[in-house]
Amino acid sequence: MKVNEVPQDNTLKYYEGIKRACYAINDEGKYVIVASNGWNAEEFINGLAVHELAVNLEKTRKAVFEGVKSPLAYHMERRQMIPDILGKTAGIAAFRVKRHCRPEIFAKLKDSVLDRYADALAITREELKTVPQK
Amino acid sequence: MKTEEIEKINFPGKEPEKISRKGKVLLITSEITSGGRPFVHHHAAHCESGVTSALFRDKGLEISEPMIFGIGSGIFFGHLPFVKFVGLPISTYRCQPGAIFRKAAKRLGGKFVTQHFRNPRKGMDEMRRVLNTGQIVGLTTNIYWLSYFPNRFRFQFNGHNIIVLREIENGFRVSDPVLDKPVDCLTEDLIRARFARGPLEPKGFMYYPVSVNHNPDLRTACIKGMLDTCNMMLRIPLPIFGIRGIRYRAKKIITFDKTHGFEEACRQLGMIVRMQEEVGTGGAGFRYMYAAFLQEAAELFGSSELDELSREMTAIGDIWREFAVVSARVIKKRFKQEETFAKAGGLMLICAGREEELFKNLRIVAGNLKS
Repeated sequence: MKVNEVPQDNTLKYYEGIKRACYAINDEGKYVIVASNGWNAEEFINGLAVHELAVNLEKTRKAVFEGVKSPLAYHMERRQMIPDILGKTAGIAAFRVKRHCRPEIFAKLKDSVLDRYADALAITREELKTVPQK
Repeated sequence: MKTEEIEKINFPGKEPEKISRKGKVLLITSEITSGGRPFVHHHAAHCESGVTSALFRDKGLEISEPMIFGIGSGIFFGHLPFVKFVGLPISTYRCQPGAIFRKAAKRLGGKFVTQHFRNPRKGMDEMRRVLNTGQIVGLTTNIYWLSYFPNRFRFQFNGHNIIVLREIENGFRVSDPVLDKPVDCLTEDLIRARFARGPLEPKGFMYYPVSVNHNPDLRTACIKGMLDTCNMMLRIPLPIFGIRGIRYRAKKIITFDKTHGFEEACRQLGMIVRMQEEVGTGGAGFRYMYAAFLQEAAELFGSSELDELSREMTAIGDIWREFAVVSARVIKKRFKQEETFAKAGGLMLICAGREEELFKNLRIVAGNLKS
């Protein structure tokens, strides 16, 4: 990659102002670091992954309103966690985390357990019990 | 005096400036550590090699990022079908996290302190203590909890490396080599990032040099690094690592849409490209950075063969970039006829063939070099 071939597609929204370091060859044939402000191909691929996460999160949010899943499932997914990671962080066995994703079981949880989840997810206990309307 | 005032007095121009060093244009920013010493932030392509070279530089050994990357044998390929990330298998273009620092430190020499912590409070206290002695500290963190990153790059990955410079009001001044200037990080974020759970737990890992060898045997270190790399790429007798891994993955990609269906195939292909370009690689899955290392080594040894290999590595890197572009088009479903999974996989097969040739040559060249 030559210095003038380093992509500068100016995907500002995507990089939010940060720049990426790329190695490229200058006119004298030496490698230098060039700051790139975005590449369309990369932005597109990253966009797919971000979009997928957002779609799944939205599905879970709707499932909570339909009473299929508990708010815990939503907040876990919002933090991009899986029961295994959340269980380790909160100090609760993964199979219990999975059970707590069912609304009827989540509703009976003690405050002490809720607090552990809230701590692990960096939200308050009140936030944990609800999901955003929109 | 508040920290901001110190900055203003010592460093009126906080914006990154371009300086030329040894003919290289680098993006640098001046900072100050808790010991009051100036710290120069270099924009780096990869977190771990960036942090390691910054730690060495802080101790007075001027060494570039590609050099650390090469000596630490950073380049690799591995397809890990059993390590899932958002439900997708990982294809990695580098060796396991932590290895670059470990190997580079061993080969260059010096006295290093590495510590793990079980208790977050003890971990933070120890870090503060070390910072107060004027030392800068390298940390392994979870990238999701580092809120100074754009949201799109934040995911649960426990192998991001940063340098902490000094404590500021309710936070820390952090030099993240992937970013182009130092940033502030909240204490709470940092605790969560350091003690995140899940695969590859950092367990509050922190590391810093006490002293480094100021006249390291660069030549021996380079040769060791190159030979180690060749062994990893060529000699691991498993089909998922090294050149075999690239071939294995490429053959899978060719039949991707038939075996997985178009949607799932696109997700998997997207994942490969993300690992190649997005995760701070300096372009083409570290291949350009390794070419930069080979170029520097060629100057060091005065070897025209290494220079030749560097150019070949650059050419391979260009094919990897093309692979990324073709993959993006396949997923976009544009140019339906020409751009197919078979073409993307074919490009990867070409990469495999040329890299095999390159590393075989490198093994011969490195074996003949005199330390």
